[in-house]
Amino acid sequence: MASSSLENLETQLELFIENVRQIHIIVSDFQPQSQSVLNQKLQTLVHGLQEVDKLKSQVQEVHVPLEVFDYIDQGRNPQLYTKDCIEKALAKNEQVKGKIDAYRKFKANMLVELSRTFPNELSKYRALRADE
Amino acid sequence: MMGDQFRKVEQYSPKSSPRGARSPVVSRQDSSGTLKTTILLGKNPSIVPSGPFYLMKEPPGESDLTGATNLMTYYGLEHSYSKFSGKKLKEQLSSFLPTLPGVIDAPGQQDNSSLRSVIEKPPVGGKELLPLSNIQLDGFRLHPGPLPEQYRYANATPIKKHKNKHKKHKHKESGLPSQETAISDTSSETHEKKHKKQKRHDEEKRKRKKEKKRKKQKHSPEHSSGMTPGQHSM
Repeated sequence: MASSSLENLETQLELFIENVRQIHIIVSDFQPQSQSVLNQKLQTLVHGLQEVDKLKSQVQEVHVPLEVFDYIDQGRNPQLYTKDCIEKALAKNEQVKGKIDAYRKFKANMLVELSRTFPNELSKYRALRADE
Repeated sequence: MMGDQFRKVEQYSPKSSPRGARSPVVSRQDSSGTLKTTILLGKNPSIVPSGPFYLMKEPPGESDLTGATNLMTYYGLEHSYSKFSGKKLKEQLSSFLPTLPGVIDAPGQQDNSSLRSVIEKPPVGGKELLPLSNIQLDGFRLHPGPLPEQYRYANATPIKKHKNKHKKHKHKESGLPSQETAISDTSSETHEKKHKKQKRHDEEKRKRKKEKKRKKQKHSPEHSSGMTPGQHSM
């Protein structure tokens, strides 16, 4: 649902931009006989805005990070933001996994050493903690 | 006298107490010597004996999803990861939106086209969008003729720019002179051209000199028979 509505919006925006581009061409070297075409294009412009406005409700649930806007405003490729996010997430995932694995090893070693030093206490502990 | 005093002290010491070293207030059920108690504070503080270990807490409940799992796989983002991690993305916005006309790689703050400004100062909305009436369209009646130059910048498409850049790069690598150089080329490139032209000119001079030498040698009597001076003397 979300992807199809986004595609619709994208198509509408492309049509709108194309219409504006054509208006720019007409206006950049204006000929008197182009006035009717220009009027038609201006009406298409309003129609395009109406179509975009209609699609507003379909993309309410789409959330865009504000940082992406900064990338676009600086003339940078917004896919770089996605790439950075993915790389950061992967690095953090690896870090946390490393910590979890280290703690697991520490716990196992701790239990081995405790069972050597305090065998009675540890058997009681194991009895309390059935999963250990 | 002294001995009596010590005896009195010993009578009140915990060691001589009939309950041993235990606190007289708390009743103890286990006699193993180990202790686990839960101390509840608040309006009604109380001490509840609950096992043989001090400070033993219930382990935290294990959550299904932790950092130990590969979250990229869990959320099905492997495709996106492989898409972005492998290739080197181009920096420019125009490479992301190649079909968009006009110069879009410039900062948006320069021409007030930034998306931030739309968020910070939202445009007036909420009004119904209606087609323009004939009277309103009269406002768009234009004079014939071309636009002033300052408004013509949008004609330059970013795709062309990329092509030129790519070509420039290629030329630098191959060292060949460019035939399709744009008018707006930098002065360094023109300098390179001149230099190359000079090189060509020098090479042509050398060739001419060689040819002249050959001609001279051909015309000389020594070379007419095609023999070396040594052979000729023989």
